[in-house]
Amino acid sequence: MAMISEVPGHPAGPESAGGISARGVSRSFGAVRAVEHMDFHAPAGKVTALIGPNGAGKTTLLLMLASLLAPDEGTISVGGLDPRHDRAEVRKHLGWMPDTLGVWESLTAREILTQMARFYRLPAQGLGGRVSNMLERVRLAGLADQSARVLSRGQQQRLSLARALIHDPSVLLLDEPASGLDPGSRVELRMMLRQLAAEGKAVVVSSHVLSELDEIADGAVFVNKGRTVRQQTTAEAAAAGRRYAVSASDPAALAAKLTELGLVFRRQEGRRPAVTLMLNNDGDAERLLRDLVLAGVGITSFAPATGALEETYMNLEGELQ
Amino acid sequence: MDNRQDTAGTSAPAAYLAGIRDVVVLELKQRLRSRGWYIMLAIWFVLTGVVTWLTWASWNASQAAQEAYGGFPTPEPSGPGSMIFEVVLAFVLLFALLVAPALSANAITGDRSGGTLAILQVTLLEPGQILWGKFFAAWLAALAFLVASAPFLVIGVALGGMTPGHVLVALLMLAVEVGIVCALGVGISALAGRPLFAIVVTYLTVAGLVFGTLISFGLGTGLTQGTVMASNPQYRQYAPLESGPFGPAYTCSGPLREQPALRTERVAWLLGMNPFVVVADAIPYRDRTSQAGFASIGAIEGISQAARQAMAGPDGTVPCANGVVQPTYLGQKSPLWPVGLGLQLALSALLMRLGWRALRTPARKLARGVRIA
Repeated sequence: MAMISEVPGHPAGPESAGGISARGVSRSFGAVRAVEHMDFHAPAGKVTALIGPNGAGKTTLLLMLASLLAPDEGTISVGGLDPRHDRAEVRKHLGWMPDTLGVWESLTAREILTQMARFYRLPAQGLGGRVSNMLERVRLAGLADQSARVLSRGQQQRLSLARALIHDPSVLLLDEPASGLDPGSRVELRMMLRQLAAEGKAVVVSSHVLSELDEIADGAVFVNKGRTVRQQTTAEAAAAGRRYAVSASDPAALAAKLTELGLVFRRQEGRRPAVTLMLNNDGDAERLLRDLVLAGVGITSFAPATGALEETYMNLEGELQ
Repeated sequence: MDNRQDTAGTSAPAAYLAGIRDVVVLELKQRLRSRGWYIMLAIWFVLTGVVTWLTWASWNASQAAQEAYGGFPTPEPSGPGSMIFEVVLAFVLLFALLVAPALSANAITGDRSGGTLAILQVTLLEPGQILWGKFFAAWLAALAFLVASAPFLVIGVALGGMTPGHVLVALLMLAVEVGIVCALGVGISALAGRPLFAIVVTYLTVAGLVFGTLISFGLGTGLTQGTVMASNPQYRQYAPLESGPFGPAYTCSGPLREQPALRTERVAWLLGMNPFVVVADAIPYRDRTSQAGFASIGAIEGISQAARQAMAGPDGTVPCANGVVQPTYLGQKSPLWPVGLGLQLALSALLMRLGWRALRTPARKLARGVRIA
């Protein structure tokens, strides 16, 4: 299957110097074809979400992008360079945070970052300051001299992110960075990723928690069963329509008004009874809410039922079955 | 982006070595912070001390017994030093062979299962730097055990009979043997998918070197049927305890005749791969060809002599081979240890090389069950 569309709104294609892209990459492990002819592009300065169910090939694709795994077919380009030929140069530009939290448990956070900086051959002078700044940035300064063993999962996650950022890479690959984080840390991660993208880095985030990706991702690449299923921007996803959930103090009056307006809706039997319906865009939502309020229906909540990306994901799930 | 890398001004080999050093530092920091290593070291020190004391005590007891009951002349004119040295040396080598796999075979598989190997691989480190760094760290950790046992080898010198040269050569050869086992362990570790598998295979490899070489030499000897030309030896009167020169007790006469013999020199290299043979054979013993008394040859020197006899083959050991009187004691002219050490080095170099291939990234083939991260 070919890529459905190039992400619009980015005049620079995958051949441009910034960002990271994969063209027609395949990789199998024995008889298991983990990735088949996948296309992927993450432009510089944007957060790109890599979305797919478990076992869709997300981690395999990220390992190939991180230059750890060689694709059987296809090419990978990091800032215009091929990892097979310019391995060292590519790695200076790559930051990778794995989904498994491997930490050297007996070392302190400060020592871990210092070691990583050495492995990236960063100059010795100013190294201490650089490490301290990074620890500040991920809010680990207070725990900098504790051994990594005592850090909580969320703190280890932040340390892992700092480890991926210590050499100031231009491409950041994050495999399930939000798993195991509490809501506060998720918000923090979101802000940090937006900030990194604003600095001009290409940020790739793989996840299957879609609601948070809505808030941070500029674009998304959907993969399933080892193939790229769709590439789209969050704006496009939103334009494709979204399901809204509406509840009222008098459900009967709400149903009557919606029927009067000629809208198709579904009754949602939950803890709080509500109706859901598809709306094409924000303008439609605005008009509907106004109509309902003017008609005297007591609206108690009116909100998108799912995230824009989740909507696409669920539709794809339906299409594929 | 370009001005950040610290490559300007440093040559490529220096940068390579710096990377190895960084990996060694990372490894040693982790090892030095684990309590288990110190506990093992303490147990080691105490055990070696106990063995030294027991050897000394038993030598004293046997001396006392001989003086009380026997009319024998003292067979060991050199004092207990030589005996303590040999027993401690054999003990230290045995335990070093048991400890080194534990210190090395988890080096890479452990990181792999802990998810930290890929963290190293994704940096600018070359696979060789990771491998050498792990090897040197394992070797240094194992050398600490040798350092802990060095005082007891020095006691051997202090109690007389041994020269500092013996101790130095013995320690050096122990260090080399431990290094070879560490290289085997790290190489196997890079190839294996699971820590337990790497450790078991490394122990089996060490067992192969210690026992397998003996067994294969023994079985291999049976395949070396050959002949040797020898004349008739004429033995003098049997006098086992006669304190004469350390020489032959026969003369050769008659024509040369073909006799069946085992050409052990063809399989002696198998014996040479045994770590005990390498260490025993490398120690420069005093030349005993003119010395009185056979009994003062210790166990370790005995190993060396046996290995050299195997290497000399029937031409050097059968009485009156080629009509020549054979010396009972083979001098230092024909050492076996360089061959054995060379073969051991070749084996560990092969495994390190294969391990290096397994660490290359971007990885093409992965062994079954191996996850990159």
